[in-house]
Amino acid sequence: MDSTGPSRTAAIALAFMAVIWISPFSWLILNAFNPLSTGQLEIPRAVGLDNFALAVSGNAGRQFINSMLIAAGTATLSVIVGISAAYPLSRLRIPGRNAFLWTLVLLRMLPSAGVLVPLYFAAQRSGLLNQLGVIIALTVLNLPFTLLLLKNFFDTVPIELEEAAYVEGASLLQIVTKIVLPMSRAGIAVVWFYSFTGAWNEFLLPLIFARVQDAFPMSVGLYAAFGQQGAINYGFLTAFSIIYAAPAVGVYFLLRRNMNTGFAGVGVKG
Amino acid sequence: MKNQANPWLTSNLFVLGLGLLPAAILIGALLYFTAWAFAFSFTDLALVGRKSVEWSWVGLQNFERLFTRRGFLESLWTTVIFVFFSAIVGQSVLGFLLAALLRGTQSTIRSVVEVCIMLGWLLPDIVAAFLWSATTSQTGLINQLIIVPLGFPPINFINEYALPIVTIANIWKGTAWSYLLFSAALDSVSREVVEAAKVDGATPFQRIWLVQLPIIRPHIATNMLFITIWTFTYFPLIFAMTGGGPGGQTQVLAVFLYNQSFSRGNLGFGSAISVAMLIIVGLLSLVYLRMLREPK
Repeated sequence: MDSTGPSRTAAIALAFMAVIWISPFSWLILNAFNPLSTGQLEIPRAVGLDNFALAVSGNAGRQFINSMLIAAGTATLSVIVGISAAYPLSRLRIPGRNAFLWTLVLLRMLPSAGVLVPLYFAAQRSGLLNQLGVIIALTVLNLPFTLLLLKNFFDTVPIELEEAAYVEGASLLQIVTKIVLPMSRAGIAVVWFYSFTGAWNEFLLPLIFARVQDAFPMSVGLYAAFGQQGAINYGFLTAFSIIYAAPAVGVYFLLRRNMNTGFAGVGVKG
Repeated sequence: MKNQANPWLTSNLFVLGLGLLPAAILIGALLYFTAWAFAFSFTDLALVGRKSVEWSWVGLQNFERLFTRRGFLESLWTTVIFVFFSAIVGQSVLGFLLAALLRGTQSTIRSVVEVCIMLGWLLPDIVAAFLWSATTSQTGLINQLIIVPLGFPPINFINEYALPIVTIANIWKGTAWSYLLFSAALDSVSREVVEAAKVDGATPFQRIWLVQLPIIRPHIATNMLFITIWTFTYFPLIFAMTGGGPGGQTQVLAVFLYNQSFSRGNLGFGSAISVAMLIIVGLLSLVYLRMLREPK
């Protein structure tokens, strides 16, 4: 490639940037592993996992389960509803299909803040101010994005394969489950991951929907804990933050290859 | 013409239609909620109390309040500044520079930098807020490592420079998305074109500015619009770091909407704010659709 001079400067600049980027984490790690943490940035005198033990027990443990239920529920529901509609949308020339797809493109831009008040009202009226309500609301908000993305992935599956399978006597269900789904596995993983992390990180909807502390997911729990005045247990909160951040980070690195291939299509195709 | 010859589809139209149904219902619900937000904005509906049941139509009163009372216009301006500096200047430019620089470097450096940037993006909003509150606090990293060793008294950044701090926090959090998109876009630029420019004697800067940038123009448009819209309506980071304070300095529209609707309980007025946000986002989306339709 280029001569080594500029590329070495670039490499040093990049390394410097990486250090700056990651430096805020020092505080998080130092406090989380310090059983005597005071919230200061300091080298701990003792190292231990006591904070993590606290952060998985009692209320904190329940919040982890709540977050898991909301995230996995939303991702799975979005993918199932998305697949069952994206396949017909991809294959059939339904009248009004293009209008529907353009509606989706527009709805995908819709900020959730814009429909917050009606969502809250509808949930209150139907007794859904709870986790199921959060799952349904997030699925509704997610669906335009999920549907468009899955349709794009299904469009890339060659129809000739399906024809061949039909000639061999496969039913619709077999064609979908044995050919279409396996061939768009990477795309489905991307969609599932996006919905999962989106719901896992979601703060505003659970803040409004969760009325009792037992129903708090980790986002609201963490916010409520660090907003409190008085004795803040920084050791507990930092350990809690690490546990809260772990699944989204972990799932990404597990699916990294899929993510980066699937990613190119996320923003660009309408 | 495609499906006439596909008997496994035509003989199962009922099943396929059934598959479309749940999605159609949910999308219908979303449209219905949007219409509802418009309807609410003409009422004096409240979260609690008498007006939560016996609300009445108040015409354009809520929209008048948007422009005559303090709050909305200030929030709009704060939002514009926040979006411009954190999304357009920060995330886009930085994301592009990183994508361009990292293409020329070894794969180890590339992976390390990528992982560092991705960590910010993958971190849940509330954790990022917590982290940045701690980093910029009086005993935090910036004070202990830079300000105090230089002989200055520690600065309480979040009180004194609230808007710049949340802007930086958002750049830190969101650059990865622009980076990934630009990275994929630059991969799509064919090697031959860049090589040809090199042979013709173009400097690295010219290669980027005159060859690669024009080719990935649609990607730039896409990226700009998505991050503009996201940042325009972004709520958790700012809300958790400052709650809109101190003194409304960081009260972007999403925080203003939340405070009005759910802290003060003015759902009618809150809906008018939503409608204003929807209209602004709608206009931005139209610009986006036009850009995509333009011939490349």
